[in-house]
Amino acid sequence: MVESPIREPLVTGKKSYAQVTDDVLRPIVTAPGKEWWIAFLISATVMMIGLACMTYTLFVGIGTWGLNKTVGWAFDITNFVFWVGIGHAGTLISAILLLFRQGWRQSINRAAEAMTIFAVICAAIFPGLHMGRPWLAFWVLPLPNTHGPLWVNFNSPLLWDVFAISTYFSVSLIFWYTGLIPDLGLVRDKVTNPIQKKIYNILSFGWTGSARAWHRFEITSLVLAGLATPLVLSVHTIVSFDFATSVIPGWHTTIFPPYFVAGAIFSGFGMVLTLMIITREVLNLKDYITDGHMDAMCKVVIATGSMVGLAYTTEFFIAWYSGSIYERFAFINRALGPYWWAYWAMFTCNVFSPQIMWIKSIRSNMKAVFVISLFVNVGMWFERYVIIVTSLHRDYLPSSWQMYYPTWTEWGIMIGVFGIFFTLFLLFTRLLPVIAIAEVKSIMKVTSDEAKEKLTQSHASGELNINVAHSPDNQKF
Amino acid sequence: MEYTNEKQYWRGLEELHQEPKFVENAQKEFERDIPVDELLEQATSSALTSNRREFLKYLGFSIGAATLAACTSTPVKYALPYVVKPNEIIPGVANYYSTTFWDGLEYVAVRVKTREGRPIKIEGNPESPISLGGTSARSQASVLSLYDNNRLKNPLKDNKPAKWEDVDNAIKNALASSIGSIYLVTASTISPSTRNLFNQFADKFKAKIVTYDAISYSGILDANQKCFGKKSIPNYHFDKCEVIVGFNADFLGTWLSPTGNIRKYTDAKRLLDKKDMMLHIQFETNMTLTGANADKRIPMKPSQEGSALLALYNAIASQFGKPTLNGDGVKLAGNYIDVVASKLVATKGKSIVVAGSNDVNIQVLVNGINAMLGNYGSTIDMDNSLNYFQGIDSEFENFIADLESGKVKTVIFANVNPIYNYYNSSKLEGLLKNVETRVSFAPTNDETALLCNYVLPDNHYLESWSDARPSQDVAGLQQPTINKLFDTRQFQDTLLTWLEDKRTFYQYIKDFWKENFYSKEKGSFEDFWIQTLQSGYAELKKVESKSYEVKGDLLQSAASAINEIKSSGTELQLYVKIGLGDGSAANNPWLQELPDPITKVCWDNYVTIGKAFADKLGLKTDDVVNISAGSVKVKLPVWVQPGQTNETIGIALGYGRKSAGKAGNHVGMNAFPLVQLVNGTRQLHNHVTIEKTGEKYELAATQTHHTIMGRSEDILREYSHAQFTKLEKEKPVEYVTLWKNYDKNGHYWAMAIDLNACVGCGSCVVACQAENNVPVVGKKEILMRREMHWIRIDRYYSATGEGLNEQPEENPSVTFQPMMCQHCDNAPCENVCPVLAIAHSSEGLNQQVYNRCVGTRYCANNCPYKVRRFNWFDYTNHENFIYNPVDDLGRMVLNPDVVVRARGVMEKCSFCVQRLQAAKLAAKSAGTPMADGTATTACQTACPANAIIFGDLNDPNSKIAKYYHNERSYRVIEAVKTYPHISYMGKVRHQIDNPKV
Repeated sequence: MVESPIREPLVTGKKSYAQVTDDVLRPIVTAPGKEWWIAFLISATVMMIGLACMTYTLFVGIGTWGLNKTVGWAFDITNFVFWVGIGHAGTLISAILLLFRQGWRQSINRAAEAMTIFAVICAAIFPGLHMGRPWLAFWVLPLPNTHGPLWVNFNSPLLWDVFAISTYFSVSLIFWYTGLIPDLGLVRDKVTNPIQKKIYNILSFGWTGSARAWHRFEITSLVLAGLATPLVLSVHTIVSFDFATSVIPGWHTTIFPPYFVAGAIFSGFGMVLTLMIITREVLNLKDYITDGHMDAMCKVVIATGSMVGLAYTTEFFIAWYSGSIYERFAFINRALGPYWWAYWAMFTCNVFSPQIMWIKSIRSNMKAVFVISLFVNVGMWFERYVIIVTSLHRDYLPSSWQMYYPTWTEWGIMIGVFGIFFTLFLLFTRLLPVIAIAEVKSIMKVTSDEAKEKLTQSHASGELNINVAHSPDNQKF
Repeated sequence: MEYTNEKQYWRGLEELHQEPKFVENAQKEFERDIPVDELLEQATSSALTSNRREFLKYLGFSIGAATLAACTSTPVKYALPYVVKPNEIIPGVANYYSTTFWDGLEYVAVRVKTREGRPIKIEGNPESPISLGGTSARSQASVLSLYDNNRLKNPLKDNKPAKWEDVDNAIKNALASSIGSIYLVTASTISPSTRNLFNQFADKFKAKIVTYDAISYSGILDANQKCFGKKSIPNYHFDKCEVIVGFNADFLGTWLSPTGNIRKYTDAKRLLDKKDMMLHIQFETNMTLTGANADKRIPMKPSQEGSALLALYNAIASQFGKPTLNGDGVKLAGNYIDVVASKLVATKGKSIVVAGSNDVNIQVLVNGINAMLGNYGSTIDMDNSLNYFQGIDSEFENFIADLESGKVKTVIFANVNPIYNYYNSSKLEGLLKNVETRVSFAPTNDETALLCNYVLPDNHYLESWSDARPSQDVAGLQQPTINKLFDTRQFQDTLLTWLEDKRTFYQYIKDFWKENFYSKEKGSFEDFWIQTLQSGYAELKKVESKSYEVKGDLLQSAASAINEIKSSGTELQLYVKIGLGDGSAANNPWLQELPDPITKVCWDNYVTIGKAFADKLGLKTDDVVNISAGSVKVKLPVWVQPGQTNETIGIALGYGRKSAGKAGNHVGMNAFPLVQLVNGTRQLHNHVTIEKTGEKYELAATQTHHTIMGRSEDILREYSHAQFTKLEKEKPVEYVTLWKNYDKNGHYWAMAIDLNACVGCGSCVVACQAENNVPVVGKKEILMRREMHWIRIDRYYSATGEGLNEQPEENPSVTFQPMMCQHCDNAPCENVCPVLAIAHSSEGLNQQVYNRCVGTRYCANNCPYKVRRFNWFDYTNHENFIYNPVDDLGRMVLNPDVVVRARGVMEKCSFCVQRLQAAKLAAKSAGTPMADGTATTACQTACPANAIIFGDLNDPNSKIAKYYHNERSYRVIEAVKTYPHISYMGKVRHQIDNPKV
């Protein structure tokens, strides 16, 4: 009997439906352990540091940061783009992979989407905070006002950002929440505390599980997936316009939209890997987020990492090919100027480190993957830093060339935002099901260990399993 | 009634008797019933239309209105209206008064702009024959010193506040008891009346007048006395020159009369309507502004100055076939002296040789060279000489000797601060303690005033009457532009009081002028007086400028003295910075923050040292070193300075004040102790040893990258003179654009900057700061690279080879470029602002709308010229920015036409839009079209070089229309297609072939 090696089951451990429910809901119905509390306290403390630094900035001014007359954006927008980028994986997994019928997405999409929401929340902090007068931030919204004909500037990429980010956030949020509804109904049925029951009931909109409800649910999910798909591509495209439409050498680049999208997916998957490796370990969900899932994500990381590498080298070629001395210098300066270390940190982390994962043994070694995923996160942070700071710090007139050094306030805010992210994520793991139970159950028939056994048996006995052909999620990678 | 035993009070007999009607009414609140029923009846009979809805409406409105009214916090203002408004003051309209600026170092004829009685801005007096309409950074900043809270607000006796009568009486007694042993130590004064008053004072009290200048010109004075019998400084006409040769004389920066010098110098260099220009060769130790502007700059040690001049004398003499002097001298940098000599000989009578040395012998030699070249009478006017400096160093040394011998019983210091700026101030300090009565007229409690028992604060010059005689043929007036702010008194009035003269100094000047400067043919004296007051100066009889000869034996003995000068070890050349001068204005934050034109460092002095020498000593910028000369030790950070002569160092004077005020105290180190007395004159060079301490001290520079990285074609064009003569006007390129072009009807403001004229002095920077309420940010923020200046002067050093060389040459050529908002037609800042806070005006201005700005800084990032400035903090209220006018006094300097920007908004050059509006308004009220030149920017009027041309490009007859496009014109980084409104005219330098070694 020959078994195709690629057809690995998506759920292992011969689970029953009840077992799935119990496994996934265990963190919600049981009290958190010591490790969770320690992690939560650390994250919350870091978050408080960040909030303190933000408050300080709000009261005293942007002068508390290391920005200057030449470098007007640095940590703020670097972090903004970084978090928006992180936010891409969630929607990619849930929307695009849904449309492409990639069954393996089922067990990771919930967490990835939650990560998206939290990442976008983290990202949204920066455009507001980096303003000189954040109390007037609402001026960037096209609100009817009493200022006469004063309106927003539709030519400004920053305004496009406002629309792109707010749309992306709302669609992601709705998509995520819609997906949660059946599971929230399940949680409601599982929890015993009447207050909890009440809350989950409200949150699940009184989910009944009727065929009609399921039907509506499926349709809504599909429509939202359709809506979210272009956003995956549009958001980072528009973020890249912040730079691409400017006149600054190193920013003024037509390659930016695809380059940014590839980078965003790359960084998003990097972050998903980081989080999943911990989550499946700590919450004991290896049967659902299997090694096969990890392997698939590693491959996405290799692919997008290579794309990013291609973009880096293309930029160099175009800089030389353009004949513009400013363009050429901007790239020479990136690689060899005062911020060479940032450039090479970026290049090493993003281009070299994922390539190691071509080796199967490394790809399946979770410790190695975890380290590489961290490298990817760091590398993608540096990519934005390199684009923003090294382009700005030496542009046209050498008289204005200056260095940028971050202050402790900026470090505090940057670390604090990671605190916010992890605090939210930790709360998520304890309050909501981290795996889309309903969706996982929907594929168990066809891709679990049991299904596989059945399949092989039926093949052996010459029967054809009709389910396989008709299941929407039979397209495995 | 329980308390029947108590006294009873009643309101009337009715109460006492408890009448029934009273008892009934006592229960009611109102005597008469409220006619509620009546009203209700009326309401029902529709006489009263209000119903419940109406009532609610009114209630709602009243509450709403009251709430809204309560929301507006109306600030409490203390502005008091005039009871009787003076005729000349119209709120919102500026008045200008002509007066005279003299700070002991330089003279500038100025016009003071006052608004509602407050002086707020200094403009040059365009008619002045001496300063020629220009201003200097120090004169521009002087208005801020008026509102300095550190000024003394009343006289002090033994450091305690006192009354004028009391101190007057006490000092009068002291004067009476010390007749014959009174010394009045004063800085050079250009006021003839004051000098007359001094003489009167000296006569009455048998006092000695000691003239003491912090920066001494004693050498020239003594040399001219020796050579020509005239103790005066000639007027140098650089504009009439074809060749100028300078030896350590920073005549464009700080030497003698820089403001006038710059105008004359640039006139000789100006290439707007001619093709020829003057040749300037500079031999110098430190990289100075003058050397930076020279066609050729040759490094020279201070000890070589005399020797090089000797070589030059001999080279010229031998070409003329005249007797040479003993000694060979040094022919710097491979016979350069010979090249210079032949150039000078070729332009005989149309050249000037100047030397900055305070050595009498060197100056005698310079006189010899100039006389030999026939420059006296043509380019050097010895007869209508300048009256700037009168200080003879030996006088002060004699004063010290008299102090030592105990001859001095009373000493009066007027405008001098020798405890700070005398080289041996510790000795002076010890000796002063033995003097019975010590009086200072210092306006602040400075280092010398602190040692005096009486400090009688002088008025600020903008509060005082005085006069001036900058040169023999020009007299000027100084008039108050504001009433005294404090209980101060100008020292001349004080002297008059002591002389028992009942006149005020104003009357005294008038009398003096009537006697000396007035002649019948000028009409009535009152007319003459008013006219002079209005124009600020009066031209006196000009004497014909004669030619002079210097006697051979004088030169011979000077030559033998020069041959004795030996060079050894490391040589120090002290210098004065354009900003701080001799340090008397150290408490002026505008000047402290003005970047040095060469190093671009603010808020510090430092040791400038050449790269090769620094490498040899293992020193880098910011390394702290000990500089010692004999027993004197000064600890300062190092600044590696291209162009600094090898084995020499330079240190700026004027820093390290201990009692200047909050902005000026302990900024840098005092280098005056390193001045040395040689041959009876105080000289600004010395032999020193350098010792590395291992400490670090960060210097704050506004420019940290110094070479142009092979971008000069796009950014700063420079031509050799030969290239220039072949240049042809470029056709303006018409670019294809997808954008709709702006309409160019009405005015179209544009600027042309002549880089060949701009010397980089920085007057415009301070003028802009004063005009536009630009905040001072302090050293820490400069280190954070956040200066706020709207206009900056970019300074580039040449580098060897093409392209990406970040290391300047050892002795680079230097170029300056004023850079401010270019007011692009296709402005990259405009389209990126999400809230439309940058608007393009119908006159082509790029306008920053402060109250719309939310501070995303995208515009600044996208500005290819990096001219936008962000308010990182609330500079006017934040506790860390004490240098800004934060108190009510300091705020008086603010220009009411320009808003003070809030925290978190972007700002930048506005082309002085408030001045354009004012000029348009004036034309409108006059009902005439705007004349060219009526709309000016602050940088333009401040410029002593006339390097900035501004006007309406749509006016075909305007100056700007004429010079906007010429053969040297280009726009900075034109390829970015921003279409800037500023066109630059490239720099032209004479190329001198290197002589054969």
